[in-house]
Amino acid sequence: MGLALKDVTVRFGETPALADVTIEMERGARLAVIGASGAGKSTLFRTLIRSVALDAGKVLVGGRDLYALSKKELKGVQRGVGTIYQAYNLVPQLPAGVNAALGEVGGMGSLRTLRTFLAGPDGPLAKRVEAALERIGLSGMAHQRTADLSGGQQQRVAVARLLVQRPELVLADEPFAAVDPVTTERVMEALLDLNGEGATLLINLHDVNVARRFPRVVALKEGRIVFDGPPERLTDEELSRIYDGDPYGTGASPPQEPPEDVLHCRQDPARIVEGRDGISAH
Amino acid sequence: MASPPTSEYPRRIGGAVPRFSWGTAIAILAVLGLTSWSVWGTEFDLVELFSSTRPMERFLSGMFPPDFSPTTLWQTGTGLLQTFQMSFLGALIGAVAALPLAVLATQEPPAVAASRAERLLRAVPYHVARFVINVFRSVPDILWALVFVVAVGLGPFPGTLALAVHSAGILGKLYSETLETVPGRPVEALRATGAGTLQAFLFGRLPQAMSDFTSLTLYQWECNIRSATVLGLVGAGGIGQQIIVSMNLFDYSKVATLVAATIIAVLIVDSFSAFVRRRLAY
Repeated sequence: MGLALKDVTVRFGETPALADVTIEMERGARLAVIGASGAGKSTLFRTLIRSVALDAGKVLVGGRDLYALSKKELKGVQRGVGTIYQAYNLVPQLPAGVNAALGEVGGMGSLRTLRTFLAGPDGPLAKRVEAALERIGLSGMAHQRTADLSGGQQQRVAVARLLVQRPELVLADEPFAAVDPVTTERVMEALLDLNGEGATLLINLHDVNVARRFPRVVALKEGRIVFDGPPERLTDEELSRIYDGDPYGTGASPPQEPPEDVLHCRQDPARIVEGRDGISAH
Repeated sequence: MASPPTSEYPRRIGGAVPRFSWGTAIAILAVLGLTSWSVWGTEFDLVELFSSTRPMERFLSGMFPPDFSPTTLWQTGTGLLQTFQMSFLGALIGAVAALPLAVLATQEPPAVAASRAERLLRAVPYHVARFVINVFRSVPDILWALVFVVAVGLGPFPGTLALAVHSAGILGKLYSETLETVPGRPVEALRATGAGTLQAFLFGRLPQAMSDFTSLTLYQWECNIRSATVLGLVGAGGIGQQIIVSMNLFDYSKVATLVAATIIAVLIVDSFSAFVRRRLAY
């Protein structure tokens, strides 16, 4: 599912959160959006799920004008869109398995919804949930109350929800901002796998080093696109320009020693050494 | 270089009591005025209370010793059981009726880019449900009891109906407020992946509100057991009806037994309810 923003402007009062933003993504592409806090990354994300009103422009998802769709048509498009957030946005009182099964909820009819509500996911869905949890390293935790899991585990449950949903477009809003490096790597792997299976991937990131793993990076500043290109072009000067005025500066976070298990969990530990949160050294 | 000592102190910060202002002075005068007016209107007279003690002495001395005859104990037991049944059934029926009313009376954040017809479709049931809840809630349970006594005759049935209707009003309001204030992000995440209104409610809002619902219902049951005692005074069954009959017959020693049993029963139910609510607070 491809997407396109055409001259999108969103204002909150007088302040433009997005100003004339134009981005196009082919089906199966992947793109990282970077920028300082308040640059407009989350607003961009919200335009793609139609949760903020546009002042101008168009948002096309799968070739369809998202803001012109009826409620029913919108549901149809949203079924193919998976989302993952910084704050996990799971239902903490439900078991982890039910939260993961909710990836399927948009495609359920009324009877199946009621059945799932009363008796939990049916056989085939339960099997997919187990498989998704296993893939993300939470095997056998389907019955655990989500609130009792750690932050990193909750983010993995959110990824399991994506895996159950099997979306054609994945939108991620700072998914690594509140998790440990091991989870960061695990979640990243799952997102890249989904992308490898054909899903388009758009991800908001604080961490420039993680963004460098994407073939295309878009940088926002004060709601405007100030950079759009391959990560090789993200020079120190470019980053200074992008993060100019950000109280945390460009690459202000000191390099952090990752835990032992992180260094051993991948072939290329350098990819995750720097910048757990915030803008890392470059 | 140290700054030279100064004789001028900074402006006083003031204590916890508000500083004098004309607004405060007028507010205090208004409260004093209302107090005098209400004392005059209600013929409030403490001298009268303590000077005419003879009827009170007669009443109190008549209560001792309380009547512990088998007949009185039997009537006290059956009256208490009936009060318990009325309060429990009233709370249960009230809760069952309150839930759909609360769902309709819950204000969801307005959908972005929704059509006028869609907005209207949401607004009509919302206002109807709010109106019904307000009518149920604003008429005191004793007035509902009088209405139902006229409709179905004396006995515990009209009392139970009165408690059910009033409980539905109170719980409807409290449930809808609970549903409105649960964290919205999990619900938003479900909606973003194509979940419909019912699905977002069942899997997003309801699980988050469930423990509060249980706690509120138990509290309403506590209130009902106190109200059920009073409802008997207008012939709506329960131990209150036996208290008023005994009062009219000047059988104060029996009144003492009935009142003492009521106090003990209310304390037991309050403690049980508080214990369960504390457990649910986790």
